[in-house]
Amino acid sequence: MKYNVPMGPYHPALEEPYRLDLVCERETVKDAHLRIGFNFRGIERLAESRNYIQVIALMERVCGICSNIHTLSICQAAERLTGIEPPPRANYIRVVMAELERLHSHVLWAGIAGKVMGFKTMFMTCFALREKIMDILEAISGNRVNYAMNRVGGVNRDIEDPAAILRMVEEIEREMTRVVIPVFTTNRSALSRCEGVGVLTHERAVACGVVGPTARASGAGQDLRRDAPYAAYAEMDFNVPVESGGDVKARLVVRALEIVESCRILRQALAKLPSGPIHPEDEDVEFPSGSAVSRVEAPRGEVLYCISWEEDNENPTRVHVRTPTYANMPAIRWMVTGARLADTPLIQASIDPCYSCTDR
Amino acid sequence: MTPIAERIPETFDFGGTWEEKSGSWWLVPEAAGPRDVARAMLAHGARFITITATELADGGGVRMDYHWDLDCTVLTFTFTIRDKTAESVYTAESIYDLSEAANWIEREIHEYFAVEFTGRECEPLFLRAGQTPGVNLREEDE
Repeated sequence: MKYNVPMGPYHPALEEPYRLDLVCERETVKDAHLRIGFNFRGIERLAESRNYIQVIALMERVCGICSNIHTLSICQAAERLTGIEPPPRANYIRVVMAELERLHSHVLWAGIAGKVMGFKTMFMTCFALREKIMDILEAISGNRVNYAMNRVGGVNRDIEDPAAILRMVEEIEREMTRVVIPVFTTNRSALSRCEGVGVLTHERAVACGVVGPTARASGAGQDLRRDAPYAAYAEMDFNVPVESGGDVKARLVVRALEIVESCRILRQALAKLPSGPIHPEDEDVEFPSGSAVSRVEAPRGEVLYCISWEEDNENPTRVHVRTPTYANMPAIRWMVTGARLADTPLIQASIDPCYSCTDR
Repeated sequence: MTPIAERIPETFDFGGTWEEKSGSWWLVPEAAGPRDVARAMLAHGARFITITATELADGGGVRMDYHWDLDCTVLTFTFTIRDKTAESVYTAESIYDLSEAANWIEREIHEYFAVEFTGRECEPLFLRAGQTPGVNLREEDE
């Protein structure tokens, strides 16, 4: 006999509101339907009534975790439209901020995954580490959540003492490689919850157009940092971890390896930080009529911004953002189909969903 | 062989003139619709990214920019839809049956801009239940 189990919009297993209607037979999920929109804020519409400085501040609030990525994407789109080139030092600082944000996001996710698995000690360990990453972000930007670092043509704040930041990063890296990564990649209790669970096949991943670690865990190896480099990524040496399992374990391993790669990029960027200005001297920004797109590899995957402007207008005529969770979430239906009902919270958590981003 | 991303204009002739802007390619296809473009993109292994819908001033319709990723290059195809059914609802071709990835964005555009996608169901509304389409991002109706 089939029966329906509604999960959400408010549910202990969900960090933010969305709804998953599960069709079950005994303990097995036979189908699922998703509903979003509980966090809709009309940010894209609001952006049409804000000038370019206000739009950057507004888009930073699309997401509380990858806020820097949103300002980076929209600033890059504006730079493409206006022809403004950020100076080399600004591009390196953008890489540092983006990788610190990736570390922060992946560690936060690892904590939540630990909690959903019933591994509360790991939750506490990860959140303690997250605090240290936020300390670094605060040391650079003065802020712990919305960093206000990006501006059209560069960044707002310099990294005064890269060596001090480097020491903080190395301490984080030691703890990551000593505690977090071994637990998630070798601990039998953790792996038993993840292996063979919530499989997204390569074919289905391609059909759904999933992005980021979710795609890379299903063997689709795109990473914009390597394949369409922006900021200073073309000057960084790093690997893109790809797994073929497509299960929760593969998504976990990809993120764990990405933590190591992020630390590697951070070490390079801080060591090679070029001298010079962090934004152009001329502060005037004039938008011609036209449209531009910009993409960035956020912690959860590709973010795309498309902006349109009319010359002499103070405000954009359109700002559209396609966030990674928006691309990844529909795939949850295929991940949970055939899974045990008890595994659905972990499976949906394994894409590291962000409903704030999705609903905008 | 030259990568396909470096011979976009020769490879995809949909009418109109290709324009390269900061590493991405833009085209207003004169001899193809969104479904023709989708078929050609998928045949070349492209990935659907999203659609940017923009309401044009003075009831001029809705501009739809279809963004595709081909070998890590963004290709954008712009269509303007002016056809209306009853009650100011615009109509456009759906590509959902060709690309599953277009499902949510078509439904979102249906709800935000009151665009009816032919050949698919967009009901019940999945973002904001119980309200008429076009209330979220579209100007108040004339």
